[in-house]
Formats: sequence, structure tokens, C-alpha cells
Amino acid sequence: MTNSIPEIEDCDLLFVIGSNTTEAHPVIAMAMKKALHKGAKLIVADPRAIWLTHHADLHIQHRPGSDVWLVNAMMHVVLNEGLHDQAYIDAHCENFEALAATVADYAPEMAEAVTGVPAAQIRQAARMYATTKKAGIFYTLGITEHTHGTDNVYCLADLVAITGHLGVRSAGLNPLRGQNNVQGAGDLGAHPDNLPGVQKVADPVARERYEKLWGVPLPTKQGLTLTQMMTAVEHGAVHGLFVMGEDIVVSEPNAAQLEAALNRIEFLVVQEIFPSETMRFAHVVFPAGCFAEKDGTFTNTDRRVQRVRGAVQAPGQARPDWQILVDLMRACGYPTPAYQNPGEIWAEMSAVSPRFVGISHERLDRDGGIQWPCPTPDHPGTPTLHVDRPMRGKVLLRGVAYRPPVEPTDDAYPLVLSTGRVLYHYNAANQTTREKGAALKVPNNFLEMHRYDAKRLGVKDGERVRVISRRGAIEVAAMVSPRMKPGLVWMPLHNFGDTENRVNLLTIDQGDPVTGTPEYKVCAVRVERVG
Amino acid sequence: MSDSFDIVLNGERHRARTGETVLRVAQRAGVHIPTLCNDDRLDAAGCCRACLVEIDGQRRLQPSCAWKAAPGQVVHTESPKVRRHRELLVSLYMADHKLGPDGLPLHTTQGNELRAWAEATPHKKLTQVHAPRAARGPDANPYVAYDPALCILCAKCTRYCDEIEAVNAIALSGRGSETTIATAGTRGLLDTTCELCGGCIDVCPTGAMHAKQAPRFLAKAVFEKVRTTCNYCGVGCQIDLNVHQGKVVQVTAPPPGETVNDGNLCVKGRFAYEFIHHQDRLTTPLVRRADGQLHPATWQEALDTAAKGLLRVKDKHGPDALGFVSSSRCTNEENYLVQKLARAAFGTNNVHQCAAT
Repeated sequence: MTNSIPEIEDCDLLFVIGSNTTEAHPVIAMAMKKALHKGAKLIVADPRAIWLTHHADLHIQHRPGSDVWLVNAMMHVVLNEGLHDQAYIDAHCENFEALAATVADYAPEMAEAVTGVPAAQIRQAARMYATTKKAGIFYTLGITEHTHGTDNVYCLADLVAITGHLGVRSAGLNPLRGQNNVQGAGDLGAHPDNLPGVQKVADPVARERYEKLWGVPLPTKQGLTLTQMMTAVEHGAVHGLFVMGEDIVVSEPNAAQLEAALNRIEFLVVQEIFPSETMRFAHVVFPAGCFAEKDGTFTNTDRRVQRVRGAVQAPGQARPDWQILVDLMRACGYPTPAYQNPGEIWAEMSAVSPRFVGISHERLDRDGGIQWPCPTPDHPGTPTLHVDRPMRGKVLLRGVAYRPPVEPTDDAYPLVLSTGRVLYHYNAANQTTREKGAALKVPNNFLEMHRYDAKRLGVKDGERVRVISRRGAIEVAAMVSPRMKPGLVWMPLHNFGDTENRVNLLTIDQGDPVTGTPEYKVCAVRVERVG
Repeated sequence: MSDSFDIVLNGERHRARTGETVLRVAQRAGVHIPTLCNDDRLDAAGCCRACLVEIDGQRRLQPSCAWKAAPGQVVHTESPKVRRHRELLVSLYMADHKLGPDGLPLHTTQGNELRAWAEATPHKKLTQVHAPRAARGPDANPYVAYDPALCILCAKCTRYCDEIEAVNAIALSGRGSETTIATAGTRGLLDTTCELCGGCIDVCPTGAMHAKQAPRFLAKAVFEKVRTTCNYCGVGCQIDLNVHQGKVVQVTAPPPGETVNDGNLCVKGRFAYEFIHHQDRLTTPLVRRADGQLHPATWQEALDTAAKGLLRVKDKHGPDALGFVSSSRCTNEENYLVQKLARAAFGTNNVHQCAAT
């Protein structure tokens, strides 16, 4: 997030696109509700009529995968009607002419054919957003889980910049991160391109810092992203895997192919808190401690580093992950220090990461969470980014062209399948399927569909249906729902313990060219009645 | 009108800002005014009457939580009239409240502000009235329960449900002594718009709204609260793990205003902690033996086997034949160690986590 969670309640306009905030980020949704309570306006762009749309001033129900068209058309309106912030563009942006030339081709009237959204709605949204100073954009996986996810983000960033919404309190561009520490994991170097502290592997100065710290020469060869790693396992280029805290067989797309590859893998280590599907292929399994059993830090979606504190003992011989990792490194012959506590690990890292130098466990214990960048021990942290000027110097406007999703519907697979989260479950649902409330509220997987589609297939609410894509077929209950548009069906991304019928047997493993994020939001399926 | 001005609180001048309530000014000045129904996240309701104060020029006592400060206002929070009011009010509340063996409002694990107030305030013993306030019927929801005998009808729970969570699953219903906290058609919470956030429990001052699965009457001394960060989504809510006899028995939200979540939690953060002590947890290292099955092993054996296996792949195919999947569920420090394992111990940049998926 460029801005902070506490700023949300003071927004005058919330533009929520590709985020079912009340289910995926309920407590941020409470901040949004507070803003609405104080009189803020709300625009929701989502293919489904999610809860927030009932409170929205405007609901844009665009087709999955048409975000670039939609946002380009909004920028088209902004520029045509002179609603852009010329002073901000002149002072802080580059490549504006190219952007203007690109969006000139995206007239709202033409948008309707691709997005399914009336031109008047696009105009209204563009005007509302561009003319409100404290207007924040909030997005989640609805923007990123596409083969053009990076393009979607570039589009939104362009819109933010040309309307001067960057560096302004209660505005900005705010991705809501889905996992407790997805921000921190990337920040700390669990990324093929980045060393800890978001320093590039390709940067020799950064590499040298860590070579000195760790006492070994560092690899310069480009690493693989997770999706590429999985494909490499399938193609026989990767022969050994170490997997911590992720059930890859459940979480990664096109699972049947991955399972076949894991059957052949030479060596697989799994570090987990519960038995997982991936464990079936493991050679060694380490039992780990959960968050309540260990110390450390998580970094949340507004870049806030906060303490994690152990409250109870891990069960049996299970141990906190950091202790296992230290022992494993030493067993592998690498002499990493025998840290007494995670505070020492943080200190080792932060000493050579300018962004984190000012943060220490002691300070977090004293002051509570601190938002990076925090360059000195007396720096208060940074709630809002880009305040005086963009951190990069100038905003590079991209002006991206629309590319359709990789798998269009056809006669054999006429429906678009999209996936997402439900409130009561969490991701692979290893934890939440063991909770009473979730088991009562959402016990089983389902396929949400419009009543027209249901009627055409002769399916009643609650009946079993077979969902078939080019990669697999599963059986779930149909849920006939007013939230859907005809032609679109939707399933939760969670694994409800019914391994045979999980949604990632259907989804595509083609990812965004930059991030590798798979296109979980759009694939073509057909639905049949069972029996 | 200027942005700030003085008011006189118990004979002393204090600075107040335009729009502030008398209660807020008093809190900042360190002047204690009792209150049961106030929560800074909610619109002022002025319904518990505990915070009434005497204001010069006003014939009647006024609720300080709703009364706006004005320039030159003279406020008395401890005048005889205010004290008389408080003594009677505590006594009336107690006459319609479940009392413990010590004759004071019942202590609960989550506290009881009425008890604390009664301890600090002289009061009379009035005849107990047994209000016919209805409890909810059978309710299969596993998390939230309501005990009408401890309810003081401050409506914090229903206002929270309306103003913060905005689902309006519960509301005040009935009139007079029959007023109670009800759902539409007295349905169980699972069949209402309730999203089981449990905010009604945290805002309840007396423990009438309580967590079904948590021990209700633990003494303060026997459980410990450990402040940590929730392990579900990326909001980073601060939570307090309530630990009793080595187990997490309840999760509560830190007080409003202190943390990024402002005292709020969702159903997962507040209630989905059963997994911590679940019988399915992995408790011993496992190694795949010659029979093709995973068998329990010692840590030493598991670590040695893992190290040997990974090194063998490296020796045979080179470092880039290894992949390291780190976890956005684990801590910063652990992610640092996994990439250090990949880069420093094995010499590959093949390290990533589920950020992309």
C-alpha cells in the first residue's frame, strides 16, 4: 500500500476494484465502512455483486479480465474532459504523451463490447474519482491473478498518477495483501530477483554486501519464480525441493501435472504444521511450530513490521521454523550463527538493508509496529509513500494496451470460471477446515452461478454439477446466486478436504510474464448436471 | 469560533477543541468519569447514564459522552448531585444484575465494568428485580453466546453490529423490563446476517455477550495475555492470545485506538485458533524409509537425511536443480533464513514464496 490502513476512514471516495474486501480483508472493510459512515462515496468494480456493492454509489460489473480496457477508458474520459492534474504530471511524471496516445483508442462507447459496462458508468466513475482529492484505490487478486496482472497494476498506477492521487493522505494505490506475511517474505529476499531488504540480485553492490556478511560468493544466475519452479519440476530441470509452509499440490494451478512430476522428484523436504497433500511425496517431513509458538515479525499490507510472540509450546517434538532452518543449514555444512532468538536474525539482516536499518525487535517491543522505509533508529517510519515526490524520482507512465485472457470461451467451454476467497476459510484451509464455525457456515465446495445458466443446464440450487476445463473435471454443488452475471461462474479457492474436487485441477498454470502469478481469475469451463 | 478554547472542569481550566465532548476533554485531562456505554468508535448514545455531570446553567445532569464542550463552560464531575446520582444508578443496575457470592456484580474472565464501578462507588442494596429479559433460544453458532442476567442494555453490541461491522444481525427488541438483545425472528446467529466477527463480545462491558468456547469465570491472575500479530490475512491485526494452563483459550482484541485494527477483529482472527491445539498437528519428524512409507524419526536423523538428500541433488545436477519454496505464512526472520539456505548454503537464486499465487 502506498498509504496506510488508519488513513482509510478519512477517504472521501473508495474505488475498490478486484477486491472482495469484506470477505478477504474484513478488518480493512471495517475501516471502509467507517469511511462510508462518515459520508464517503464508494465505487466497486467487480464481476460479482459482492457485499460492498450493496453500499456502493456505483457498481461496475465488468467481465473478468477486461480491467485494462475499463481503466484505460476511465483515463480516456479523464484526459478528454481535462480532469487530469497537469501540474502533477509536469512535475512528477514521464512518458505522458505515450500514455495519452494509448488511451486515446479506448473510448468508453467502445469499451462496452469488451467490458460489458455501459459508457455512462465509466464516465461517471472517471469523473467521481478524478474530481475527489482523497480518493483511494484498493485492489487484491482480482487485479493481479491474470496473465496481464502487471498490466492491470500499471493501468491503475497511471490513473493514480495522472490525477495527482499519489503522495496524498487517504488516497494512493493500495494493494491489499492476502497473507499475513506475503509483504515481508518478499521484502526479506524469498524472491528469485531480490536479496533481503528489496535489493536486486543483479546489483553488484548489494550482492557484495551480502557476500561479505555471509562469507560466500553469491549466485548471479537468474532464479526461478514459484510457477517456473513447478514447471521445471515437471520438465525435469529441478530435481530437489525444499517446501516450507505451503501445500503446493493444493495451491498451485494445474495440479494433476504437478502431482505426476512430484512422483518422480529425487528429493523433497516438507516443513509443515499439519499433514498436507504435498507430504505424500516428501522424503523428509519437519514438524514446525505455528505462529502462536514462536517469536519473530510479520510485515502487513501497509508495510508495518509487527512482532509475533510465542504464547504456548509447540506440540510434541515440533519446533519453530527458524530453529529448524538454522540446524538444517548447519547440517548442510554452512556455518550460520547459532542465533539465540529471532531478534538476532533480524539484526543480521537489517544492518545491511537501508530500508530496515531503523527497525529492531527492541524498538518494536517498545513502540509497536513501524512502517518501512525506516532508515534510522529515530525515524518514525513512513505511513504514506511518495509524499514529497515519487520515490523513484519520476512516475514512469506506462500506457498499456489491452490483451485478452489466454483462454477464451468457445462452444466446448462456454463459461468463464473465476475464483476467490470466502470469509470463513483461509487459503488452502488446512487451518480453517478444522474450525467449528467455518465447518458450519461453509462446509463444502460450491459453484456459484446465475439462474439463467442454471436453468439452461437444468440445474437446481444445491444439486451436484460437474465442472470441466481443458485440464480436469471436478464435482461440486451448484449455488444459484443473484451475485453472478450470466456466463460467469465462480468457485472458492479453498481446499475443503475433498482432494478429488479442488478447483486447482481446473485452473491454468499460465502466469503473468513479469510476476509469474497464474491466471486464477479466468479460465474456460463447461458445466454439466451429474446423473 | 476559534478551534480551541477553555472550559472549567472541577474548578480547573482545561483546553478543549471544537466539537469535542466533555467526556473527551475530561479523559485527556485525567479526570475520571465513569461510563459503561461509551466507545470512541461508536456514535455517542448517552444511554447508560453513568457519565452524567453537572453543567452550570443546565437544570438537569447531562451525559458527558454526548454533551459538546463550549467556551467558558463550567463542569462538575464530583458534585454532591452527581455523586447522589451515581450511587442510586449503581444500586439500580445491581438490582437487575446477577451478583456474585460477595454481593457484587459477577466477575467474568473478560471483566465486568459494572463490578469495578460498584467496588469504587458507595451503593445501597435494593430488592433484586428479576427482569423477564429473554435469552435467545437454541443457537447452533459455536462462538457467540448471550447471558441476559448480566446485560445492562447499554446497546454497545447492537451499535457495534450496526455502525462498525454494518451487518445489523442483532438489535434491541421488546420494551421496558422485557427489552433484550435479539435477532430477527429470534433466529440463531448462523441464520442471520451475522458474520461471527465477535465484536459484540469485545465491546460488552459486563460479559453478557461472551465467547461460547472460552472459560467464562477465570480469575485474572490465572491467565496471561500475549500480544501478537494475527496469522491470517495481510491486515496485520494485533491480537491478544489468552493463555491458561499452556493452552490458548481465547483471542481478544487490544483496546481501540492502540493498534492498526482499532480494537476490531474478524471471525478468523478471533475464533479460528482451534487449529493450534488440534490433534492433527505434526508432532514428530518423519523420514521415508526403504518400504516407501514415512516413519517417525529423531531430529538428528531427519536433519541428516534432509541435508544429504539436498546435497546429493546439488552434486549430481548443480545448485540450480534445487528449488526453495519459502512461506508468506512464516515470519520475516524465517523467510530470511530460507533464502540464506538457498543462496549461501546451496548457491542458487531459485527461492520464492506464494506471493505470486
